[in-house]
Amino acid sequence: MPVLTRTLVLLALSLYTAFAAGPFVWAAMLSLRTTTEIHLNHFAFPNPAHWEKFPDAWYNSNYATYFMNSIEVVIAAVVVLTIVGAMAAHCLARYRFRLNRVIYFILFSTIIFPPQITIIALFQILVNYGLYNSKLGLTLVYVALQLPLTIYILESFFARLPADLFDAARMDGYSDWEIFWKVSLPIALPAVATTVILNFILLWNEFLFAVVLITDEANRTLPLGIQRFIGDTQEDIGMIATGLMIAIVPVIIVYAFFSEKLIQGMTAGAVK
Amino acid sequence: MPAFRAKELKGDVRQPWGTIVAFLLPALTFYVALTAYPAIRTLWNSFHRVLPRREEFVGIANYSELIKDEIFWKAVSNTVTWACISPVIEVTVALLLALALYAKVPGARFFRVAWFTPVLMSYIVVGILWMWIYNYDWGPLNTLLRAIGLGALAQPWLGSPDTALGALILVTSWMWVGFNMVVLLAALHSLPKDVIEAAELDNCGWSAKLVFVIIPLIRATLLNLVVLSFIGKMKIFDLVWITTKGNPLWSTETVSTYVYKRAFEWTTFDLGYPSTIATVWFVIVLATVLLLTWLFRTREKLEY
Amino acid sequence: MAIVRLERLTKIYERAQTPAVKDVSVEIGHGEFMVLLGPSGCGKTTTLRMIAGLESISDGTLSIDGQIVNGVPAKDRDIAMVFQSYALYPHMTVWDNLAFGLKRRSIPRDEIERRVRNVAATLGLSEFLKRKPHALSGGQRQRVALGRAIVRNPKVFLFDEPLSNLDAALRVSTRGEIAALHRRLGATMIYVTHDQVEAMTLGTRICIMSNGRVAQVGTPLDVYHNPASTFVAGFLGNPPMNLFPAVVTDDAGGRTLAIGSLKLTIPPERMAPLPPGTSVTFGIRPEHVSAHGQGRPTEIPFSCEVVQVERLGAETLVISEIADSGARLVARSGGDVALDLGDRVTLYADLSAAHVFDAAGNALRQQTETR
Repeated sequence: MPVLTRTLVLLALSLYTAFAAGPFVWAAMLSLRTTTEIHLNHFAFPNPAHWEKFPDAWYNSNYATYFMNSIEVVIAAVVVLTIVGAMAAHCLARYRFRLNRVIYFILFSTIIFPPQITIIALFQILVNYGLYNSKLGLTLVYVALQLPLTIYILESFFARLPADLFDAARMDGYSDWEIFWKVSLPIALPAVATTVILNFILLWNEFLFAVVLITDEANRTLPLGIQRFIGDTQEDIGMIATGLMIAIVPVIIVYAFFSEKLIQGMTAGAVK
Repeated sequence: MPAFRAKELKGDVRQPWGTIVAFLLPALTFYVALTAYPAIRTLWNSFHRVLPRREEFVGIANYSELIKDEIFWKAVSNTVTWACISPVIEVTVALLLALALYAKVPGARFFRVAWFTPVLMSYIVVGILWMWIYNYDWGPLNTLLRAIGLGALAQPWLGSPDTALGALILVTSWMWVGFNMVVLLAALHSLPKDVIEAAELDNCGWSAKLVFVIIPLIRATLLNLVVLSFIGKMKIFDLVWITTKGNPLWSTETVSTYVYKRAFEWTTFDLGYPSTIATVWFVIVLATVLLLTWLFRTREKLEY
Repeated sequence: MAIVRLERLTKIYERAQTPAVKDVSVEIGHGEFMVLLGPSGCGKTTTLRMIAGLESISDGTLSIDGQIVNGVPAKDRDIAMVFQSYALYPHMTVWDNLAFGLKRRSIPRDEIERRVRNVAATLGLSEFLKRKPHALSGGQRQRVALGRAIVRNPKVFLFDEPLSNLDAALRVSTRGEIAALHRRLGATMIYVTHDQVEAMTLGTRICIMSNGRVAQVGTPLDVYHNPASTFVAGFLGNPPMNLFPAVVTDDAGGRTLAIGSLKLTIPPERMAPLPPGTSVTFGIRPEHVSAHGQGRPTEIPFSCEVVQVERLGAETLVISEIADSGARLVARSGGDVALDLGDRVTLYADLSAAHVFDAAGNALRQQTETR
């Protein structure tokens, strides 16, 4: 395309990039400055860079607790979710039986459910079973929450595996369960990895269910913790910014290593 | 050797029922216990007053109250507005960006990764950042406006009933444009080269090629993104909760925040009424999704 | 003693109108190479899969080594299968692919190692043992698939169109390898294909199937020279047998056929007498029709006009229309033939190789059918 148009387009794109990434860059800068410095000038470059704010936030506010709670809940949920989801997806993809498509449709259609339809009753149920305000309760809810998406992604992958492979394994003497573990899952590793990463990010950021089902300070997950932070320390912008940075770190790490996979995983279903 | 009827295995060799059940049981248990049953229970709740220690059946009293509930209708209006405006902005801007990258602008790979980043962030983080951006005194937005002489336009963006909803819509657009752009870029790249080349041979100018060839071909993806965006906005909660909580004056109240408030913050402690709201909303969302997919599906899949 | 015996084997799929396989009865002896041959959809693969245990049997019995195995799961039938798509485990090395089936059968580790190394050496795979399938060529993958079956030392080998994914040259050489394998191992092999050349060259006997039923069973040459039906006659042989509808005349002897205005008297050993007016089909293979008369008493001249000549180098096909009937006659001769489009020529058909089929398409000559 002609040079003038190209330069204009590049200009527009760069402006947009500033718009898209700007807030994070600003937050990063704020996280390294003390609140006093910030009040003097909200946009100055960190000078000096106060790296000590990070351990400070970690240890002195309950950040460590919130962070570890999130880690526990999310990792546990993702592990259970992946295994349970893979089993169901494998079954739906490979075995022909009358209820197959009905079950698939039912599971898949819950993706459009607004969470309100389940959240009130979930609250009641967890209270009744003593799981309210517990990490276990939240973990179980998270598994149920992400199952439809996981099964959807894995089912389409398992369905593409050639049938001959399973026949050969059956003739080699392997039972259905062994075929699942030793043939299906290993081959499906790329798709499984995608769902793991996807679920990790979605659950790490999850807020609504956490805010309804957890009120105990000791059990708060990270998003709740940050919200609490805002409430307690409204004016301490420096501290909040540091907290935000800590919250983003795992996501950034995953994104840095797996950006391609992540992008593809999150957008795969949308391309038609 | 006399032939005799072979012992028929149950179903075909491929239907070992025991295994099928074993594989599906965990997933179905989660589903029934934590998704299906709660949904039904919510429906059941909607016909009761659900108080901490007892429940009383009230028939359709909740529903009739709902019809008169002004806050509910304001919330619905806000949410539906959001769900209608957002897709338009998000998909249009995303399309422009995707086309720019598709036209082989240098740095495409970097831009793609950079623009996708907002999608990964929690709404909480995003909400806080934008509350600062919108801050009346020192937020970058107002600072910028004042710097270029448009200080008169500076507002308490999230504090004014007229601008609050719009400000939030901008935030979600900021988040999701990147997602839509990536999807559209993939769709553009998957278009068959020969059709585009045929258009070039037919002496199509750039804009004609765009309108008459490219857009019709990616129509399915465009519509898909519109529906996805629509559904997402109908469910929105996190962003509103961390920024305005429905204020000022219900101008940013969404159905989800209203349900939460009625269930857990109002002192009536009645879970029945919010269940009613949830049920009605569920039906509305389902109906609109079905309507949209039906509207968009009646077009045949393009054969090339 | 037959090692694999199919007795009226039938397969009906749920909600299907017609059975996929109906009343198939074949006996395969020890060390035999039996080819199941037929057009696509004829039921040959379904039959093979029933033998393997991958499809359930709707009716009839299947016995291996004298024992009925209808309900026995695939892994317990002592059978190995080579799949059309090879079905190699993509996430495992060649070694693991070969050893996978053995590990499951409580065979001691050193025995597994010995067998795998042996088979790899035999098939020329020793240097590829650490590679994964995606790093192998098509031919190499095929050999791994073969190796996987050999290493199991099964009673019966099953092949499901193993050569159809290979290019032409590779197909020929692999065909030779399979034949050599059969000679070396002396094992019982059942092989499914739609390719006649594979069937004719590999099989000790072939079983031709059509529409789920057995059309004919016999040695390749036997089936070729004595087809039991017009289907078999038209299926085997390239180009296919010339077939013409005909009517028995009222000439004495009841063996004279009228094709249009032509009259042919079939030698007695090729046809039993029939009442006048019976509709039959007359068949003669292209290699028994030539432009030069051999001077034999059984030859019959046909006046024809040449419509197409295909010179293939080693042989020539001459396609002509029979005068005043318009039916097409294909003649095949070695070398070149000095004929061209439009030539009027007399073609000679040797009636000592004539075939006559009844109105339903069945051969009228008595067959010695081996089962």
